[in-house]
Amino acid sequence: MNSLTQIPPGTQILIGDAVRRRRAVERAIFAVFEGWSYQEIIPPMLDYLDVFVKGMGQELEDRIYRFIDREGNVLALRPEFTSLLAKTAATRLSQEREPIRLSYSGEVLRFETPKGGQQREFAQMGIEQYGVSSATADAEVLLVCMEALRSLGVSDFQINLGSVDFFGGIVDRIGLPDSEIDRLKDLLNRKDQSGLERMLDGLDMDERRKKILRAVPHLTGGRDTLDAARSLVRNDRSRKAIAHLESIYSVFEELDLAGRLTIDLGEIRGFDYYSGILFRAYVPGLGFEVALGGRYDHLLAQFGHDTPAVGFSFTLERLEQVVTRPFPAGRSAEARGSDASSVAEAVRLRREGKVVRLCS
Amino acid sequence: MLVIAIAKGRFLEPSLAVLDRAGVRFDEDVTDSRRLIFDSSDGQCRVILVKPTDVPTYVEYGAADAGITGRDVLLESRADVLEPLDLGFGQCRLVVAAPNGASSADADRPIVRVATKYPNVATEYFNRRSIPVEIIRLSGSIELGPLVGLADRIVDLVETGRTLRDNGLVVVDVIAESSARLIINRANYQTKRSEIVGLVDALEASAPRAGRA
Repeated sequence: MNSLTQIPPGTQILIGDAVRRRRAVERAIFAVFEGWSYQEIIPPMLDYLDVFVKGMGQELEDRIYRFIDREGNVLALRPEFTSLLAKTAATRLSQEREPIRLSYSGEVLRFETPKGGQQREFAQMGIEQYGVSSATADAEVLLVCMEALRSLGVSDFQINLGSVDFFGGIVDRIGLPDSEIDRLKDLLNRKDQSGLERMLDGLDMDERRKKILRAVPHLTGGRDTLDAARSLVRNDRSRKAIAHLESIYSVFEELDLAGRLTIDLGEIRGFDYYSGILFRAYVPGLGFEVALGGRYDHLLAQFGHDTPAVGFSFTLERLEQVVTRPFPAGRSAEARGSDASSVAEAVRLRREGKVVRLCS
Repeated sequence: MLVIAIAKGRFLEPSLAVLDRAGVRFDEDVTDSRRLIFDSSDGQCRVILVKPTDVPTYVEYGAADAGITGRDVLLESRADVLEPLDLGFGQCRLVVAAPNGASSADADRPIVRVATKYPNVATEYFNRRSIPVEIIRLSGSIELGPLVGLADRIVDLVETGRTLRDNGLVVVDVIAESSARLIINRANYQTKRSEIVGLVDALEASAPRAGRA
């Protein structure tokens, strides 16, 4: 290996058109974020490792780039923004009037296999809203995501909407150890019917609950899915989750946007901090999601201020692959030459706001 | 149009058979051609023929919407895909095997040498048991490893167990049961939902043991 020429695996250098595209995409999305009153925040590149570990969970914790500073503290390069912003909202902004709306854009680092354009270093851009746990708040975040996609000319997309609470309510009093619940979750997340069947065969559980779990991978679709789910469960937590999803779904029906939403109660993948709704945005032609979001009502309490929160982020490297709109190059230059008079001419043109390009 | 990746080799004919029962048929003989892409007679599906270990990759990246692959291959690939159906054929077991009569106590050895073409599966299996291993990656005739002193154990796919017996090896543990699975790309499942659900339903209805292996 020649460290002077090779770049570290998973890092990238954007040049020329790629930079123009990145900045144009950022501007378009920020315009939408600002339109919904989300204020940009620029958090630090690194923080104490514990800040990220609180929320992301063991699996992702292993993928954090970490190092020890001169005083012996374990620090981490940010693997995501949500924990960083939650810490800020729970501390510096805890006295502000809620809801607080924040947005961000920047690179994050995770030690993982590059996939679907997402390298180890990749660009995330998103919003977080603190202080409200209503269906309206959730709907707002989904609407911002949709409008941001439309602002980039991406009109064909599908958002998959699930809930951590629906599944949580089913397994809450089931008496299974966490490792078994994780196994169950994994089977449901892969819609692995035969694996699920085999696991249920070995579980001492009443038939009614098994019937519900068998149905979970199929609970996907529109309003009819919510009706089917409601007739299955009796526990409070699951029923509240359905009622909450119904309120959100109604908002989109009113706006004639429900066709863009798919209810998927079998989808429970995400960071450990998710506690309510969970969603992913997909665009035809790309095999990976372009956005991921959800509610995380218990994360801020970890930082000393107990308030609900919801948000989402785009991965720009993926989003850029489905943005087909062209991003024209800047205006062409007008000043030529390299002698003293051409410098003076260039300064004059600059004062007029023209683009110059000296040949010196 | 749905793109389905299927594996060349021993899975080819049974894969085509389950597709046929689900109504995905071809005007020409797919098994008797050098081409790698075939469109179904009704124009609804396109089948691509790939190397068995590549099926999860094509599907995970969305280059194919769906694929038919062994669970062994899927476990090794660690691909993040949906796997809604067990298609019933290709039943095998992923096992740890050792020479007949060898010490079964791995704890005695400072490090266990394991020959396999499933390095990820093998590493995970031994890690979970805190057994230090050296994984020796081979691409075929794994049974030879312990016979020539290259390895202490093998991790391999076993169908009838005859090859193991003929080479003086015995199964020490079963890591996983394997059979053919229908796998689906997560994103395409959302963006081409009605077509994909149609295929899953047709395969489930036509495969006798589907989903219940």
